Amino acid sequence: MDFVIRHSYLIPLLPLLGAAVAGFFGARYLKGNSHWPIWIGVGSSAVLSFTLLFGMLGRWHPQHEGGGHAGEARAAEPAAEHAATASENTAADDESAVQFPETRRDYPTLAFGRHLYTWIRAGSKQVEATDAQGKPVFDASGQPVTKSVADFEINAGFLFDPLTAVMLCVITGIGFLITVFSKGYMAGEEGYFRFFAYLGLFIFMMTILVMGENLVMLYLGWEGVGLCSYLLIGYYYDRPAAREAAKKAFLVNRVGDFGFGLGIMLCFLAFGTVSYFGNLATPGDGLLEQAAAAAHDMNPLSTFQQDALRWIPFLLMLGAFGKSAQFPLYVWLPDAMEGPTPVSALIHAATMVTAGVYMIARCGTLFVTNQPAMNTIAVVGAFTALFAATIALRQFDLKKVFAYSTVSQLGFMFVGVAVLAPVAGVFHLVTHAFFKALLFLGSGVVMHAMAGVLDMRKMSGLRRVLPWTDKFVLVGCLALAGFPFFSGFFSKDEIVGAALQHNLFLGVVMLLTAFLTAYYTFRLYFRVFRGPLVLPEAPAGGHGHGHGTADSHADAHSTASASAIQAGDEEESGVDEHLANRQAPASAHHVAHDHGGAAHDHGHAHGHDAHHNHEPLSMMLPLAILAIGAVLAGYLNWPERAASLGGFLGQSPSFVEAYRAAEGVAGTSAEHFGVHDPRPTPETHELFPAIMLVSGFISIVGILLAWVMHLRDRARAERLAESVAPLTRLLEAKYYVDEIYQAAIVEPLRALGRAFFWIDRMIIDGAVGAMSWVPQLSGYALKLGVQRGYLQGYAAAMLFGVVVILLVIFL
Amino acid sequence: MTQLALQHYLAVGAIMFCVGMIGFMTRRNLIVMFLCTELMFQGVAINLIAFGHYHGNLAGQAFVIFVLVIAAAEASLALGLVVLLFRTRNTLDSEAWREMKG
Repeated sequence: MDFVIRHSYLIPLLPLLGAAVAGFFGARYLKGNSHWPIWIGVGSSAVLSFTLLFGMLGRWHPQHEGGGHAGEARAAEPAAEHAATASENTAADDESAVQFPETRRDYPTLAFGRHLYTWIRAGSKQVEATDAQGKPVFDASGQPVTKSVADFEINAGFLFDPLTAVMLCVITGIGFLITVFSKGYMAGEEGYFRFFAYLGLFIFMMTILVMGENLVMLYLGWEGVGLCSYLLIGYYYDRPAAREAAKKAFLVNRVGDFGFGLGIMLCFLAFGTVSYFGNLATPGDGLLEQAAAAAHDMNPLSTFQQDALRWIPFLLMLGAFGKSAQFPLYVWLPDAMEGPTPVSALIHAATMVTAGVYMIARCGTLFVTNQPAMNTIAVVGAFTALFAATIALRQFDLKKVFAYSTVSQLGFMFVGVAVLAPVAGVFHLVTHAFFKALLFLGSGVVMHAMAGVLDMRKMSGLRRVLPWTDKFVLVGCLALAGFPFFSGFFSKDEIVGAALQHNLFLGVVMLLTAFLTAYYTFRLYFRVFRGPLVLPEAPAGGHGHGHGTADSHADAHSTASASAIQAGDEEESGVDEHLANRQAPASAHHVAHDHGGAAHDHGHAHGHDAHHNHEPLSMMLPLAILAIGAVLAGYLNWPERAASLGGFLGQSPSFVEAYRAAEGVAGTSAEHFGVHDPRPTPETHELFPAIMLVSGFISIVGILLAWVMHLRDRARAERLAESVAPLTRLLEAKYYVDEIYQAAIVEPLRALGRAFFWIDRMIIDGAVGAMSWVPQLSGYALKLGVQRGYLQGYAAAMLFGVVVILLVIFL
Repeated sequence: MTQLALQHYLAVGAIMFCVGMIGFMTRRNLIVMFLCTELMFQGVAINLIAFGHYHGNLAGQAFVIFVLVIAAAEASLALGLVVLLFRTRNTLDSEAWREMKG
């Protein structure tokens, strides 16, 4: 593991190199092989990340093992910490790799630092020293005393703690699976190399985001992933909707990032550093350490610092809400589904959108002491979770349902971190990454097979044509719905439990959302994969996998392939043949015939192996691995075991400082972290079996309801929707939020823009234009008066000049 | 009759220069204007020789030899140009080239 830490720069660098190779040589030389550099780059950085994780697990002493080094150190005097610091440099041969002291304020910690180089250094300046009242201080001779103000110095360095290690594994691991999937999914797309180059760049930025040891590196990665998100949403740039969605994502994120940027600046102004833990070996000078100390009143703050601490969380939160698509900045995420599906899986479900949760977990210390901020996050998170879940009830586009579901689940994560259960939030982040990536990739397979159609009203019973996808998506749906003993069950449960402990109403809202989640997830599943086989008639124009402007040949081919599936199905599944014949609309056949004999023959020729065509191994393998993850990830944090994800994450210095800060705040104690206080607190787990029972029951009820409404009697759902038509319309229109934004923000801004454009064109440009007339006119006048073309005139002027010069010299 | 002093030479040079200048200003025939510039040249050359003689060294004369050589080259060029101009417009009037102004 020392090797990995010493060469940790390879983790971001390899994907970047891959991206560079794919980007520079892809168009001309690699072409259809452009996925190789990215596979190699991301794959090897995944190997490094897992080596790091397992190395760290090897160094980790779970709490209840007793004895152990951590236990002893915990009992030691705080003064011993510094001694421990010096003696426990893991990589003594390399000064830039530093291990943290193994304990921090009597909590065990596990963290390593890797300093690379000084990134930004702005010189120091001398200012007059002031005393507590702000009056200048003078020395004996009456001269004002000066002191040196801290440099603006930012190091490029990495911090490796359990949180980073877990995030890295999620990013590179799931990232690698998705690049594997993309090979099959994106095959033959125009700009194949471009897609992979962007993916590599994204992984680079995302790893920088989670590995950086200070807020500015976090911000660098933050903006970088925003850029990659923009590029990838707009991947099909010949499609207007994709361009609009890309711009929308970028602009909405600017709103949040503006707040985030201000928050970072305020951190620097108030505390003189943006590094989380400052000089890694010596505790005390980092931003989070200062904030934690402040909570204990160990370090009296100036009024300005107190005010700053009041505002910093709100500013940082704004950034998190933008990136993680929380109300009111969530509007970009559903539109972001215009990007290719693997992008939706990787960026807009598994990794980038969780950056906000990561940031709040990382900087938890700044938040826990600020009750209004925590309440805001909890309220926004819970509201978003419920709000997005209700919208998802009435969406018909597969990817849109999952997009709103992602927004909703991110709300869950925010509630988790806000109710002082950051471990639960991060746990849900991990499980969600697995099952949501799985679901998106599953919908990608559907989209691939259905020639770009994603409307669940146009398809049904796909289980017969996509048998493997059906199974994997079922696993993903069960996990998302929180079905007992699937991963989502455990992680959601912890958040709901912590929320209930925190505030009954909050917990109830979370439970209601969990119910809606189970319902809309299985509404989708039952409609798309179960029931009679119905295949879409023709690709929907302008949406989905293919190009909107596909020519008629491509159309014919797509339709033929859709009917080929049907043909193959009818030939192979003898028992279902009658059913399929009866239920499938004749029009599907019709279309194939309309396109002429050639298309039809083509369809039949491929009829027999249609199943294999649409579920190639390179696409099914990632799905299978993700499905295994979606089942097993929940056991990472089995509550009764001390050696759980929670115990591991609990040793991240970020979490330790947050516990410390929380301890310092009146009315809060480490027990409020409840779920995973690294120190044994037996009473904290009591609540959870009861919650598990309730949430498991709720999930099953939701699934059953979906079964009744969407499988047993599909007309029933429509009747219900009819009976509450206004509500249905409201949900289908997504609460008219986009329209409200259009009217309240976009249109006024556009009007303002027009006004400014007019002012610019008429008044500013007019003034500038008028100024340009002055030299023009004077030059014209001079030309008329002097330059007349008479040689004698010029000679006279010359003479005159000479005379003037002589006069000046001699008189 | 006193001996010729420096100022006599200078006066001749100045007169030649002024005659040339006045000629250049008043005449419009390109060849005449060219001759006038030559006249101004020789006025200056007389000045130089006079000063050289006055100071008792040969620098002035050496300089004038240089100037004359260059003036000869320049004269051939200028006359060539004048011939070209005449061929183009069939006149020697400098007014004919007024549109050459910027």
